[in-house]
Amino acid sequence: MSYFRVNKNCNGCLSCVENCPAAALSYSDRDDRRTLQHNMTKCARCGQCWRVCPQDAIEFRHLLVGQWDDVVTMDVIRCRVCGEPLYSPDYQQKVFGTVNTGSEPLCPQHRQRQAAGFFKPGKAESQLGVK
Amino acid sequence: MIVGDLKPLEEIVSAIKEYKQILVLGCGSCVTVCLSGGEKEAEQLCHELSKVKHYKGALPKFEMGCILRQCEEDLVHEYQTIPDGTDAILSLACGAGVQTVADAYDPLPVIPALNTTFLGASAKPGNWSEMCRGCGDCVLTFTGGICPVARCAKSLFNGPCGGSQNGSCEVGLDTPCAWAMIYYRLKRQNKLHLLEEIRTPKDWRPGGAAGPRKRIRIGLGDGTKDS
Repeated sequence: MSYFRVNKNCNGCLSCVENCPAAALSYSDRDDRRTLQHNMTKCARCGQCWRVCPQDAIEFRHLLVGQWDDVVTMDVIRCRVCGEPLYSPDYQQKVFGTVNTGSEPLCPQHRQRQAAGFFKPGKAESQLGVK
Repeated sequence: MIVGDLKPLEEIVSAIKEYKQILVLGCGSCVTVCLSGGEKEAEQLCHELSKVKHYKGALPKFEMGCILRQCEEDLVHEYQTIPDGTDAILSLACGAGVQTVADAYDPLPVIPALNTTFLGASAKPGNWSEMCRGCGDCVLTFTGGICPVARCAKSLFNGPCGGSQNGSCEVGLDTPCAWAMIYYRLKRQNKLHLLEEIRTPKDWRPGGAAGPRKRIRIGLGDGTKDS
């Protein structure tokens, strides 16, 4: 969904298009229909569209407080003791594994405990009673 | 934001006339919002500069571009395409953007199309006023949120000069006296006692008097493309 939204007051006068300093608004007239268009990558979120709109149609708050968009979803490896999400398998292979030789997936807290001898490497589940 | 003004056309023409192919490059941030150096202004400038009447010799060839921020070298280097044959860039960014582009494409000449004027704010559409000089040692806590460095014509620190009259500055009736504003706002806030406190003289070294300022934020460096 677009972050630039107008309410039902919009009458297609194009004041916002004409006055957008970033050229982030455009429109197309096709088959007797006018479509207002917004390009988020150009938008400076300056609010000029909202200021000049004679219809009070622009709901600028959506450009100030937007929703989070999911970008990508992948598997995640968890701490073997407490289950805290740590990193993806690819990250483990390419980055984490190269700087922590022989390490197993542990959160910082349980890594410290392992280093302090609370449990031995690779034995966390059995020594701590983790199922 | 940073506010800039387009240089006089004659000055721009004089600076570019020796080049054959020029990239007119807008900046998509501050100067877009203050209507001086964005994509629209770059297009308009490109159109104007393409008129034969400005040149005695051959008409340069112009191309137009605009990038989100000219002041970030890795971003510019990665994403701004320089057309083959370009022998100069005419930048509509602030001075920081012009220099960053010049560093990114050294030794390609980068020419400023704007005069970078001030750090300002907009109280109403189409109006920008200087608000901050970046002095590095903010005193707004003691002055009711009104900056005496930027908004007093003399940058006075200890109250108004004799030129303050009926709330206006002696430089012009349309310029409010910063110290009159400070006084009346502190009065409304019941904080006039702040004006009676003795403060040490301002240290101007954080404001640039000790040389160009630089900030390194720990933890960001490893994330940049070129490091």
